Parts: sequence; structure tokens; C-alpha cells
Amino acid sequence: MKFTFWKALGFLLVLPLAAWAANPALAGRWRLDPKRSTALDGWTAWDLVVSLEGTRVDLRHDMQWRATKLTATNAVDTAKPTTVPDFFRVEQRHMALYPVRGALTPMRAEWLDSERTLRVEATPQIESSQGTGPMRIYQELRLIEGDQELLLIELHSTRGKPLVYRFTKVIGEK
Amino acid sequence: MNRFIIALVWVVFSSAGLRAAGTDAGPVKPAARASWVMNFDSDWLVAKGLPEKIMLLSLQGLANRAAPQIYVVHPKEFQWEITGPLFEFYQRKHGVVFTEVKTAEAALALFSHHAKGYVIWEPAVPATMNVAFTIAGLEDALVVTAEQVMQVEKFGLKRIDDLRGRYTGQTDAQIYRDAYARYWARCTHDSIMLMGGHVGAVRMPAMADWGVRQKMFFHDLSANPIHPEEVALGKKLFSEMTPLGTVFGWHSYGKDTEEQHTTLLSGYGLRMEGLHNLPNLSFNCQFTFTPGFRFTNNHQVALDAKLTAQQKVYISFVQSDSIGIGVWTKPGRGKLPFGWQVTVNWTKFSPAALEYFHESATKNDYFIGGLSGPGYMYPNHIPADKFELLMADARLLMATLDEHIMEIMDNSAADGNVGNADLTKETVDRYYKAFPDVIGFINGYGPARTRDLRDTRAMISYDYYIDPRRPREEVAADLNELIAINAKRPYFLLVHVRESNDVNSLVEITKQLDGPVEIVPIDAFLKLAASNKTYTTRYQDPADPKHFKGF
Repeated sequence: MKFTFWKALGFLLVLPLAAWAANPALAGRWRLDPKRSTALDGWTAWDLVVSLEGTRVDLRHDMQWRATKLTATNAVDTAKPTTVPDFFRVEQRHMALYPVRGALTPMRAEWLDSERTLRVEATPQIESSQGTGPMRIYQELRLIEGDQELLLIELHSTRGKPLVYRFTKVIGEK
Repeated sequence: MNRFIIALVWVVFSSAGLRAAGTDAGPVKPAARASWVMNFDSDWLVAKGLPEKIMLLSLQGLANRAAPQIYVVHPKEFQWEITGPLFEFYQRKHGVVFTEVKTAEAALALFSHHAKGYVIWEPAVPATMNVAFTIAGLEDALVVTAEQVMQVEKFGLKRIDDLRGRYTGQTDAQIYRDAYARYWARCTHDSIMLMGGHVGAVRMPAMADWGVRQKMFFHDLSANPIHPEEVALGKKLFSEMTPLGTVFGWHSYGKDTEEQHTTLLSGYGLRMEGLHNLPNLSFNCQFTFTPGFRFTNNHQVALDAKLTAQQKVYISFVQSDSIGIGVWTKPGRGKLPFGWQVTVNWTKFSPAALEYFHESATKNDYFIGGLSGPGYMYPNHIPADKFELLMADARLLMATLDEHIMEIMDNSAADGNVGNADLTKETVDRYYKAFPDVIGFINGYGPARTRDLRDTRAMISYDYYIDPRRPREEVAADLNELIAINAKRPYFLLVHVRESNDVNSLVEITKQLDGPVEIVPIDAFLKLAASNKTYTTRYQDPADPKHFKGF
């Protein structure tokens, strides 16, 4: 009984600590290196801007398609699952797959590998020609040694091929 | 002297043709006719090769007024890849005996008598090129720079006008307002030449011969709302055109977008025929179909056939960038069933080109009508009172071309080839009413989500657009993802193939697809889609994002 109590207490103490243990090296602006990444489709540029505040991680996407610019932020919390409206997915824009307007997207995030990896899971609703349905998205944002490069690996429950994006830290731009 | 030589050559060739036609026991050969061909290079630099080409294009337009005399063959890398194959076609099917004209000097020696003089344009003021082309059509003038004056005066040509200095420091809106006041009333109002396209160091007005021949008003006015004065003048011109008229050429790459300009002209019930570098229309328009020729499409299903879809994925490929560009001449055509959107208006001004495409079609090549009507237009913006008149014309042209499918495209709210390419329900209603006898409709350029099924006629939008630059393994992964997400069977996956793809690479992609997949011709595809509606009915939602909200 005592053992179970202490174990539970320890678990409760450790979990929030892990959740709070954000890695500040992830914060900042990261710019896609298109030559070393899976080809974007319908986007010509992508900056990922990461902000950390406690257990909250804001993943802002500054996207560009020719002269068109778009900014969208997915906020996650490493301490608890969240539900976000208007989840933004860097989609392959020449596919007839669309976000469902107004749908809420469950999201979870967790620090892994001594806080060098942020795992993000999201399940947005996607509209296709046959209707709407969920797509499970699994992402790992891995800091590369030296903290000047970031690797984003993305898996879809509907796609057999991972999407692999490499980013370089941008200094001096917010 | 020159006229005498031309007449002599004409008589010799004509009589030779008559003899050939009279003595052959086999198929009747066409009577021989003499024409001349120039081989252009790829130098369209304003500071280098452009002035000579402009002079030659104005000469081509004038020389081809009464008879098809000058044809231009462009290098293989030119956007319109058919000039070479069509050159061969004219010789073989129309008995044209071409003599090569190797230099501008030689062209002037042969044809300068078709001009009454010359007009000088000023490269430092780009709009003067278009004003000069307008004058060329009205006054039978060659368009030259100051440096070319001596060259044309050698052939007895006199100065008709000189635009140097007239428009220095003026905006394009001011220049074209002046041109409007001076020339528009005398120009044809049936059509107009939007000579835009490339801007800056390179310009490519290869369609100018057609505008000169037809006495069109040339301009490159912007349809971008950030240029309100130009938009206002453009609207004025469009409003004064003959109803259902044609806008030839293409928008200026430096001022506005294809979406903005096509939206603007569609709002006046006009039709677009591009591009600005489509060559040889002044020549092509003078040939009809060869005797006995009749379009017969490679129908895989009859109009009244009923097909039943199986539990599988049906894929169909369509190329809609006008068949003269791109995939047609690339390797591998014929290996997959392919739908080709024909710009049906070519029946009127480039019938030989259409005959060439039909003649060289394989059993896997199938022609469909478009784009949106008798020419390129955005139907969400066509005024209601003009829609039926335009579509009546489209029906006639499609009947001539033995086409059973209408392709629709409305990118007025899209951002290039991504974004909102959907049709309003009102627009869909109009198409179903206007085309009671088609197999069905397809919609989009990039992907879209307008879908419907009424009686036996399905309307399906593209679920995928193949960007030619996208790695083939990613294309296969994209298609497989669509197949996974659209899990009901049958799934109807319509794919738009961008002009510069080649069919061989598509064959490789199809080998990497998951599940029970069948590639079918577009007519069978639409019939199958009518048999089992696993897709949703959807139209443009007013709440859908619009990149350009219109005028």
C-alpha cells in the first residue's frame, strides 16, 4: 500500500517535471531547407516559428505560395491533451483534401529523448470527395546536434511514405 | 520584279499541283500551293532579337491577309511545340510547297509590297510596341525600331508614323487612352489583342501576326485592381466589343494574373484565346479541313451506354492546357488512356491544327470540349443573358469535333492552380440545362470539390493535379493517400496532368499505386461515376476562402 502510494506520488511529481522541461533550443525561427526535404506541393517557402511558455508550445507556420503569405499557429501543451480549432496542416495542395471548417482537432504533445524531441499528435477532420473523416498525424521535431538544425518527420495514418523536412535556425528574425 | 517572281512561282507550283492531281491513280492529292517558311530562333530579347521578330510578325500579318504566304517554325523548346509537326502536315495534307526564307532581308524582298509603310516603336516605352501593332493593322505598316528604318526604306517603304517621344513619361493607362481615342473606332470590335505575357528584358508577341491581319486593337492593360485606371479602360474596351467576342493573347505577367484577367473578360461574356505567343494564326486560319475529313473521336462508350462500376479505384487522366502545348509531342503518348481538352474555338481559326491532332491521335487519345465554353472563360462570372448564347456555340463546335464531354474551369477565386476552383450551384444548374446530351462534365485545373450527378450525367472535379516538377515518387504517394482516404469503393479519382509532364513517367506512377486500380478513358470514367455515386454533392460554398474576390 505504502509502495503504491509513493510510486503514485513519484509519478505525479515526475510527470509535471517532464512536461515542464522544455528545451529552449527549440524556440525560434526555423527555415525549411527544400533541397534536403520532401518536396512541398503548393507552397514555395515555409518557416516554422516555435515559442515556449511553460508547458505550452506554439508552432507557428509562416507559409508562402508565390506572392501569397499565410500564417497559422497550432498550440500544444505538453502537460495535457488539448483541442484546437482550425488546425493547420502543411498539406499537399494539389490533392483535393481540405480541412473541415469549424472542426476541433484533438492534439497531444510530449518531450522525448531528454527534451531533444517534441512529439506531436493530431487528428484533424479532413474533407475528401467522399465526405469527411479523421487523419491521424504523428510528428517528431528532433533537434540535431549543435541545435542549428531541426528535423521534422511526419507520418499520416493515410500515407505510406513519411514526410521528412529539414530546417535551419534563422538568427535575428522573429 | 519581286511581284513577278512571286507570281511565276505561284503559277509553276499551282500547275504542277494540277498535273499531279490529274494523273495519280491513288488517293487524290491536294493541289500544290506555294508558301514560304521562316525558321525563328529563341532570341526574344528586347535588346537583341525582338525588334527583327516584331518587324517580321507585322510583315507576316500583312502578307497573310489575302493568302497564306508566310509560316513560322519555332525551335523545339518553344512553348508551342506543334509548329514543326504542323509544317509537315501542311505539306502532306494540303500540298503546300514551302520555300525557306532565311533572312529578314529576304522576307522584305519577297513581301514588303504588302506594306504601305512603317511605324517606329520605342523599346524604352514598352507600350509603344502594342500601339505600333495597332497602327500596323490599320495602316498596313511594318513595325520597326529607329535602327531598322534604313533596312525597310531600301524597299521603298515610307514612314507612316513615329511613336518616339509621343508617349515618353506617360503611364500605360495614358498611352492606351490616347490609342483608344485615335484608333479603336477603326479597329475590329469582334476581337481584341491582349498582347501581354512576358515583360522586361524578354517579350514574346508571336501572336501579333494574327492581330495585325485582323486589324485588332493591341494593349496589355492590367486587370489588377491595384491599377484602377487600366482596369477602367479595359472595362470600357470590353463593354464596346461585339457581344460574345474574343480576347486573343494573354495577360501581362508583370501586371496582373490569369485569374484576374479571365474573370474580367468573363464578366462581359467574352472568351479568351491564348497565349500571346500562339504563332501562325494568320496562316492557319486560311486552311479548312481537308476534303472528306470528319472528326471521329475514339469513343469508348456510346452516349446512351450504361456501365456498372466495380469495387475498385477508377483513375482517369486529362490534359487541359490546350493540346498544342506540351504533352502531345512528348514520349509515351498512347500508352495510357488520356483525355485531351480541345480549345473548340480552333475550329474557326486553326482547323488544320485540329485535324493534325485528330490524325495523329492514338486509340488511347480522347478529345473533350472546353474550356468552360467556346473559348476559355470563368462561368461563375458569365452574365446570365450571355451564358446560353455562348454555350449554344460550344454545343455546335463540340458536335463538329464529335465531343461528348465538357470541361469547365473557374479559377476566379483560386490562387494560381491552388485554392478555390469551385462552381456555384447556379453555374452548375446552367451547365446541366445547356448540355442535355453530354456524357458528363469535369471541373477544375488544380483540385476542386464541385461534384454532382443528375440523370446519367456526372460532374466530377479533379482530385489531383500533377505538378510536372513534383518528384514522381511523391506523386505516387499522393495518389495512394487519396486512395486510402477515399476508402469507399468504387472511388473515382480524376487526375489533371499539367502540360509539361510526359506520359512515360505517368506509366511508372501507375505501377506504384495501391489496391484494385483501373485506368479508364474519361468517357467510361464518367459513365462509371454515374452508376454508383460514392462522392458527395458539393458546390462552391460562399464561406469558402476566395483569393480574389472579383471586381
